[in-house]
Amino acid sequence: MTFDSLRAGKVREDERLASYVLGTCRRMAIGRARSTTRRQRLLERFGPELTPAAWTFDSPSLDLDRLVSCLERLAERERTVVVLSFYADRGAAEIASELGLSPANVRVVRHRALARLRGCMEARA
Amino acid sequence: MTRVSSCREPLDLATLVDYWFGDLAGPDLDRVEEHLLECDACGSVLRSLVATGDGVRRLARQGAFGVVVSPAFLETASRQGLRVRQYGVPAGGRVDCTVTADDDLLVSYLQGDFRGVSRLDLVVQVEDGPEHRVFDLPVSPSSSEVIVAQAMPALRAMPSSTVRMRLLAREGEGDRLVGEYTFAHTVSATGRE
Repeated sequence: MTFDSLRAGKVREDERLASYVLGTCRRMAIGRARSTTRRQRLLERFGPELTPAAWTFDSPSLDLDRLVSCLERLAERERTVVVLSFYADRGAAEIASELGLSPANVRVVRHRALARLRGCMEARA
Repeated sequence: MTRVSSCREPLDLATLVDYWFGDLAGPDLDRVEEHLLECDACGSVLRSLVATGDGVRRLARQGAFGVVVSPAFLETASRQGLRVRQYGVPAGGRVDCTVTADDDLLVSYLQGDFRGVSRLDLVVQVEDGPEHRVFDLPVSPSSSEVIVAQAMPALRAMPSSTVRMRLLAREGEGDRLVGEYTFAHTVSATGRE
């Protein structure tokens, strides 16, 4: 936006531009440092369970037979979106493109399906 | 750092799902990450979401359940080195098929013209048994095929039989036949070809 304004000759006080850019850079640097620190802490907290290396572990708390049964109870559209999200590792935009839906629609279907799966798994636990 | 055991303002599941799939950015992402650092309850929900995803991945890889898929699914299966038996059938077509012990997955391509179709259903019938109807398939109208990954346990247990599939476009109160597909399934004698 700043560059657009510059190109359009809308910036009247050029001397303020340097401090503006400097301030923006500083905020970005601080924000990035905070994000990095935070993500490091998140990784320490959840890392062992959330990293791909852990995905092959046999979770004792997960009943796969029950999960199959719960997956089979989903609507076809929901099952497809869940499989493409987790197995094919596709984002909402990619799934939307393949299925002729909007990304927002995919996100709604995805979270509704996972809410149902969660409810089904907990109800029968 | 003080951690709370219960959550006064839990993140809703939709937000956690969007977070996990990388669909949050900016302040929304910051808020969720900061919350997760302090909240065991929401962390637990995230863990269960991840465990469910792990289960889905393992089951999909085994072909444990039937599901309509897209080319992205097959790309992943191929990348993982899975052996995928594939049958393409035009509307009105018939194909001889089987499944062997070497097959990891079996995929059927039901070809047809889906332009102008707002809802597409699939009806499956084994021999003269009851019809099983799958409603509202997730297929792009611009696609020329429905890709169905079959449930391998059911397929392996099935005796030699004829399976009829019909794709129906829902129009008003009625159905229009888009295509009929016949699979003459035989049990592989040795389990291998």
